[in-house]
Amino acid sequence: MYGWVGNILKVDLSSGEVTTEPTEPLVDDYIGGRGLGVRLIYDHYTPGTDAFDPGNPLIFNMGPLTGTALSGSGRVDVTALSPMSKLRAKSNFGAYWGPEVKYAGFDHIIITGQAATPSYLWIKDGDVEIRDAAELWGKDTYETQQLIKQELGDPEVKVVCIGPAGERLVRFACIITETGDAAGRTGMGAVMGSKNLKAIAVRASGGVAVAKPEEFLELSIQINNEIQKHPAYEELSQWGVSRGVHMMYQMGFFPVGYFEDVCWDEILEKYGAADYIDKNQLKNMGCFNCPNRCMNFISVPEIGKGVTSCEPFSGFTGAVWNLDMDVFWEATLLVNKLGMDCTETSASIGLLMELYHNKIITEKDTDGIAMERGSKEAILETIRKIAGREGYGDILAEGQKVFAEQIGADAVEKVDLVKGVAPHAYEFRAFKGTGLMQAVGHRGDPLPLRGSLLEVDWHHANDWFQQVAEEQFGDAEAAIPTSYKGKARSAVISEHIERVADNLGVCKWLYGLFIYQDADMATQVFNLVTGKDWDLNHLLKVSERVRNLERMFDVRQGLRRKDDSLPKKFFDEPLKSGPYKGEVLDREKFEQMKDEYYDIRGWDKETGIPTKEKLVELNLADVAEEVLGSA
Amino acid sequence: MALKTLIIDAQKCIGCRSCENYCALKHEHVCNPAKGRIHVVKWEQDAIFVPVNCMRCEEPACELACPKHATYRNYQTGALEVDRDRCIGCLSCVFECPFGATFVDPQDGRVLKCNLCDGDPTCVKVCPTNAITYEDISQEAYLKLVKNADRIPVLVRKAIGEE
Repeated sequence: MYGWVGNILKVDLSSGEVTTEPTEPLVDDYIGGRGLGVRLIYDHYTPGTDAFDPGNPLIFNMGPLTGTALSGSGRVDVTALSPMSKLRAKSNFGAYWGPEVKYAGFDHIIITGQAATPSYLWIKDGDVEIRDAAELWGKDTYETQQLIKQELGDPEVKVVCIGPAGERLVRFACIITETGDAAGRTGMGAVMGSKNLKAIAVRASGGVAVAKPEEFLELSIQINNEIQKHPAYEELSQWGVSRGVHMMYQMGFFPVGYFEDVCWDEILEKYGAADYIDKNQLKNMGCFNCPNRCMNFISVPEIGKGVTSCEPFSGFTGAVWNLDMDVFWEATLLVNKLGMDCTETSASIGLLMELYHNKIITEKDTDGIAMERGSKEAILETIRKIAGREGYGDILAEGQKVFAEQIGADAVEKVDLVKGVAPHAYEFRAFKGTGLMQAVGHRGDPLPLRGSLLEVDWHHANDWFQQVAEEQFGDAEAAIPTSYKGKARSAVISEHIERVADNLGVCKWLYGLFIYQDADMATQVFNLVTGKDWDLNHLLKVSERVRNLERMFDVRQGLRRKDDSLPKKFFDEPLKSGPYKGEVLDREKFEQMKDEYYDIRGWDKETGIPTKEKLVELNLADVAEEVLGSA
Repeated sequence: MALKTLIIDAQKCIGCRSCENYCALKHEHVCNPAKGRIHVVKWEQDAIFVPVNCMRCEEPACELACPKHATYRNYQTGALEVDRDRCIGCLSCVFECPFGATFVDPQDGRVLKCNLCDGDPTCVKVCPTNAITYEDISQEAYLKLVKNADRIPVLVRKAIGEE
């Protein structure tokens, strides 16, 4: 095969059995990466299995373009049953591990079972070995990677691992590779911890065959050069998102605190990320083969070194009322080394600050630490206590809702979750399309999507971006944040574009958001690498199939229309300040957008479940029979 | 025509390994960094990355070591190339290279040497930070070489925490 390397690796940690299956039978319907991974989790997960049960499969998904000589080809998609939502988990990471797995000869890795003692997996070309990790247990993610490289005697080994948070089953523990690339969301590190699996190390000398190597080389060099000439590249490759975040605060797109409001005058005046980068950044870095260096490598002598990208720049600043960039950096390094999702962690701290501010909790509820807004001690100690499962951190490690339930009804009332997960930290009251995409999304945090960014871009040139929306989504109003019109179609099309990149194993920032804003270029490259001759609609049809199968997995878990919602504050509490002062989501119009969305999708409006006709059309008749027969 | 050569500025390298993978695609028609004629040595926890490539020495150890005279200089480009028909695969050139810049194909044991893509190097086209440039061998380029070489010990001292 070209693009795909042909094998799905299956490791049962309970029995130690290692087997492989061919990838080929599934590629026509699901391509690879996220899409094929959805089919694998659907087939390998038995309903009723707990997320921490050995039977919960943890699946790593590389795509046909992962590891190719192409900008942004370092991506991996991870899935399992989420210990946070009881729905399908999904997280995506970059860096260098995914390509190495492809070179070892595997398109996907399915891990089931539970090792009797702490272990790690060592993949050397086609050979797979389960090794003892007793010495690694308790080590942070930086140390773990170094120790494994030392033990294996090869500094070029690529490692994904969990930190102490994953070992202790913090429900939002993540998987880390290098110094801060993370499969951050939906608790993949906790699932890995439940399997007693500390790390997966890979080193390989194989490659990915290409159907049309000369044409591919030419196009790929062209893409590399086009990216380097793009204005978004100029910004990201110098500043990362450090300056963009300030713009988002000005625009009222990023919330402050626990989705409390959007305008905090102090952060607009004093947000110090750009200066901090100027002073402490060694380099801008990116993933495998990527010229677009969207990550900042920061080195602060007293605190430490590593990379960071988007989330911490708002998660450990505005979301926790913090203006001290040293605290931002210390918190970022802590979560990366301990192996916890930055977004969920900062939201959890934000919740404590909200509860304290509203006098629902006192310092007695948090081991004597006052959860003052912006308090350095509150931020850093909460992170340490969650990862260490100490005191209140032990309860918070079970999730925001569990913590609030221990406090009482008025605390539960304050919790802002979507499908069990902290929603993406965007402001949904003014940005209606973004709100819709967040609500109906496949996990509690499905963003960013193209249609959502268009609502942001619109501020720079209204007429231009309305024209873009007209062309891309069939309605100029799809670009206007406060309009409810055209948003459903924008959501559907954006979801399909996103899945093309995810299915191919490439970066959606490049192929769907910032550089190429649709799936055309990804399609061209896909054909040259794999030797297929598919048009764009073919790839988008696969995206639709994947979206429907993702939905059916969750429907099988009990998901219904009522779960496609947002926390009530977005409907009840209008924004008190900022450029969108007074904006709030109108419940009726919001439900109408959802109706429209289900209509376009061919889903039943009452229940939010895909119809049998739609599933049969998408070649998912077996799924329809299994799930709808019992629904 | 003035002779040109590859100049590597490790300080600028971000470790993306585009050079390795595009090199393999160009010469071997496969995406496999292990088949590249350039390799990046990485210390990612310190953000130190050093691309290693043939230095095209004036008195090449690889050429002198070769018992079959398979390694020779291409006087069009200045590159040191390997005549596949003469090469017996003894790897003397690999072991003699003082820079570790003569590589071996991990699958078939062939020697891999940079031929500067016959004067149009692919790695230069894709390097996002101009850490690899293709320049005239002039006084200016020579000074740059020396300057870059001078940085390496500083980086290493930093890495081991002596600075």
